[in-house]
Formats: sequence, C-alpha cells, structure tokens
Amino acid sequence: MNILKKPDWYISENEVTDETLFEKRRDFLKLGAAALVSSSVVAEKLAAVEKIPRQALDFKKTSFGKDLELNSFDQASTYNNFYEFSLNKKDPAKLAHTLKPTPWEIEISGEVENPMYIDLQEIFSSYPLEERIYRFRCVEGWSMVVPWIGITLAHILKKAKPTSKAKYVKFITELDPEMFPDQRRGIFGNIPYPYVEGLRIDEAMNNLTFMAVGMYGKVLPNQNGAPIRLVVPWKYGFKSIKSIVNIELVEEEPLNTWKQINPTEYGFYANVNPKVDHPRWSQARERKLGSFFKVKTEMFNGYSNEVASLYKNMDLRKLY
Amino acid sequence: MKKAFLFVILLLPFLYLLWSVQTENDPIKYIFTFTGLSSLVLLITSLSLRPIKKVINLMRYRKMIGLYAFFYAFLHFLNFYILDAQLDFAFVVKETIDKPFVYLGMISFLILFFMALTSTKKLFLKFNKQHKAVYLVLILVTIHASIAQKVLSSLEYTFIVVTCILLGYRFYTMVLPNIKPYS
Repeated sequence: MNILKKPDWYISENEVTDETLFEKRRDFLKLGAAALVSSSVVAEKLAAVEKIPRQALDFKKTSFGKDLELNSFDQASTYNNFYEFSLNKKDPAKLAHTLKPTPWEIEISGEVENPMYIDLQEIFSSYPLEERIYRFRCVEGWSMVVPWIGITLAHILKKAKPTSKAKYVKFITELDPEMFPDQRRGIFGNIPYPYVEGLRIDEAMNNLTFMAVGMYGKVLPNQNGAPIRLVVPWKYGFKSIKSIVNIELVEEEPLNTWKQINPTEYGFYANVNPKVDHPRWSQARERKLGSFFKVKTEMFNGYSNEVASLYKNMDLRKLY
Repeated sequence: MKKAFLFVILLLPFLYLLWSVQTENDPIKYIFTFTGLSSLVLLITSLSLRPIKKVINLMRYRKMIGLYAFFYAFLHFLNFYILDAQLDFAFVVKETIDKPFVYLGMISFLILFFMALTSTKKLFLKFNKQHKAVYLVLILVTIHASIAQKVLSSLEYTFIVVTCILLGYRFYTMVLPNIKPYS
C-alpha cells in the first residue's frame, strides 16, 4: 500500500495564497508610509490581504434591493454575532477557521412526505442560485445591507413536501465541539447549544425567506454561517440561524434559543418593529454599520408589502 | 510633576479612542463600550486606593483619577445625547424614565457630576459626606454595565466580584466598627 506521509510544512493547494493577493501584499507594503497618514486605509488593505480566498459562485442577479446601498464585505464579515465562537463580534472572523463547511448535509425531517438529506454540493451545483440584496437588522440596534446568494426556503421545502400537520419549521445549528469552541464549555457556555430557531409555515414559504450559501459573489465566509444559513430580512438577525444541519417540520411552535434564554425580552416572532421597544433599549432607529448617524427603522424592516398580511389581527406588542 | 505625568497617562485612552473609532464598524456602540469601561475601571481604581493604602499610599492621586472617571462618564453621556439620541431631548427624557438600563446610568452620571462640581478643596470640606454616594454609583454602574450585554461575559463577572470586594471592605472597616454592641 502506498501511504503518502505529508511533511510538517505541507499545505494543500487551496491554502496557497492567490497570486493577485500576493501582489496586493506588495502594494500594501508600499503603503507603509501612508500608514502614518490614514489608519483606515491601511486597515482596509490589511483586511483584503489576510482574507482567505473564497470560491466564486454562479448565480443570477435579481431586482431585490437593487436600490439599496451595500455595506462592504469587510464590514459584513468582521462584525458577527456567532456565540459558538465568542461573545465578541470581531472574534468569529479570527476563530471560525475551525468550522469545516465541507462535507455538509442538511437533514429535512418531521412532518414531510419525503424525508431527505441534501448534500451542500448539490445546492451549489444543481440549484438555481440567485443574488438578493436585503437589509439586515440586529435586535441590538445595528444594521447592514448584504448581497446574499442562495435559494428560497420554499424551494427546498417543496421537495420534501410538508404534510398538513406541518405548522412550523424548526432549524438547528450544527452541534460539534470540534468546530465550535464555545460548545466545549458545557454549562459555562455563552448560550445553550445547539442553537435553535423557528418559523411559522407561512413565514417559511414566503418568497422573501432565503437560504443563503454565499454573499458578495462567493461562498459564505465561515463567520457568516457557512455553509448554509437562513436569512429572514423582516425579522431581527437572531432569527437568521447559521450553519444549519437540520430542518424539521413540526406541529407545535418550536422554542427558539433566545426565547428560551430570556422570554420577556425575545419572542418567537421577532419581527422588526420600531414601535415595540426592547425592554432595555429603543428600536425606533438603527445604526447602519460604518456610520456615525442613525436612521429610522422601518416596520418589518421595510418589507411590509411582502409580509404585513401574515400578521393581520395579531397583537404585535404581545407577540413580539 | 508626577501628577502632570498621570494627567497625560489618563488622557491616552481618549486619544486612542479618537484614533481607533475611525475604523470601527459600529462607532456609536464602540464609543459607549470604550468610554463606559474606561470610566468604570477608573472608578474602581480610585476606590481601591484606600484598601491598598497600607501597602502603598497613592491617596493623593485619588481626586485626579476620580475626575477622569467623571470625564469618561461625561463622554459616555455626550455619546448618548449627541450621536445616539441625535440631540432629541424628548427622546432622552423618555428613555431615561422608561428604561432601567438608562436611568441607572443617568443617576450614576448625575452623582458623579455633583461630585466633580464639589471636588474643589473648599467645597469638598462641605460635601465630603455626600461623596460617599460614590459607592451607590459603583453598584448602579456595575448593574448598568451588566445589563448592557445580552448575556454576561467574564468581564462583567469580574466587575461584579471586584465591586463586592470593595463594598465588603468598606463595610468591614467603616460600618462594622461603628455598630455599638449591646453590652
């Protein structure tokens, strides 16, 4: 048998720095003098140089959010709430290399006619990927605009054929202490694991509800929830669960992690609503990343036309 | 001379803030965290000088450290009023009345403001008893800092422990000896 023993210094082909990035590093070094002039320019260059190259995706552009002003990739990939890595929003970008996005399978189970496993490679190769620019509003009061790449959740669910008993959809993040350091800390962990989220079936089937596998033209960086995450643009960010391994169709409303931790402050619905404050802070305005000035938060994060009808006759103060 | 040196040292965090905030993703939040932590750390430092007096007597620096704690609290307040509330006075009043998180901070700020105003030699002689309210500030600010988080991290636990130690010391040395026994 021919056993290939890799020497200590061996690195695989895809870890090799791309030539263009290597050249950029040269450019960056030339900027040494400029360092004294503007720190922000340098920070951007530095970030560009140190990024791991991401695989580009084939996708179709759409008109979703075409008039919105995008946040930069650096902003969206260095400000992440990913408690499986850290409570600090800058840390996931540094720590998330332990997440192994391939191979990856999602199990679809519960109240469906076709329980199934979907291999991530299948989604990359044989699903019609599209780009959608969405607003993203965190319950903490900050927001950003991100070009996501993926497919609608409805597209996936229709393949599994939910039964008439399927009233809710429950999502679960991968539980793997090897990948997620905070999952090793047991009861001392930041939050209980695995992270769970849920949607009502009509919310899940809504055309806006998106399963993202990429952003800014390429696959998701690990810290943004690789290899596949939910994006529900009219709800606070914590609903948009990352690194999903299980989608279960259920009859009862699932208990989502933040509601479990603090039910008086975080509910199941978590719709963006400037009129219903968080008990500790106002939700009337938001801080768009990179800006010193706040802007008004819109009802349903600006997606009222698409989703307001889902909640008519509901008291959104009680069902926050 | 040493005081002038300390004055510059304690100003450095502010200069660092002016520089570092330019590249922050969420500058308003960053200013809150930075000024709040600076103020709380300086408050704790100023209150630690008495317990360590027998080891090393730094009491003559207490006033400057305390005033700097107020300075960073003042920046924290300005960030709330100017950038966060965008000078909307009605909003500030409403939030202060509505939200425990905000009024704990606001009460603390007002006490520190009063202490800063009465920190001159002459006024301190008159108001030094009232300056004991700084221990109330310590309690309120520790709670304020803790509920600023969605879940507590080791940093907040550290503040809670340190606050308990400082309060325990104060109780042990100042309050207990003054309680008269029955006999």
